[in-house]
Amino acid sequence: MASNPLYIMLCSGEHEKLQMAAMMASVGAVSERPVEVFISMNAILAFAKGAPADTRYQGGAFSKLLKENHAPDAMTLFRQGKELGDLKLWACSMALDVKGWELNALTDGLFDGAMGLTKFLSDAENGQFVTL
Amino acid sequence: MSVKQKIDARGAFCPGPLMELIAMLKLVEIGDEIEVWSSDKGSVSDIPQWVSKVRHEMVGVTQHDGYWSIVVRKAK
Repeated sequence: MASNPLYIMLCSGEHEKLQMAAMMASVGAVSERPVEVFISMNAILAFAKGAPADTRYQGGAFSKLLKENHAPDAMTLFRQGKELGDLKLWACSMALDVKGWELNALTDGLFDGAMGLTKFLSDAENGQFVTL
Repeated sequence: MSVKQKIDARGAFCPGPLMELIAMLKLVEIGDEIEVWSSDKGSVSDIPQWVSKVRHEMVGVTQHDGYWSIVVRKAK
């Protein structure tokens, strides 16, 4: 039986918050819980196609530890969540417009499309909402 | 006859061991067992919780020197 859907609004580009969003999204999705992630503001920059890990993941002291200890890569966790569970990632259409990007500027195989904030908030009324 | 597969996830951080288990569960037959070796302390509670939630079966958890052996049976 599917659980209450989880909606994650990811706006921060900090490595630590990206990592937690990826962990929540992947674990939620593989636990028979529908998960949708809306990615906007600085967070969208971390999803740039082909970005090397040292520029993709920028953060503080814990980011350094995550890198030193080879914690699971956030993009890999999002991908695993999609492969093994019901996880959808949406790129904020405003963020794409401001950046001058199309969906093909983002890492392949992760995004289900672009979405506006109004639609995401409307969908999220039916589940648990988390902002990072 | 059931088969036991082994995953050595020692050194992997949360949620790595759980993700490796789930990927392996997709590949094995119902009734097969998977033994996960994990040095991640969270796995000791996280994996049984996940197994219960998605209705597979826990076979057992054994503590070793520096890691745990967590055995799961695919039930569906």
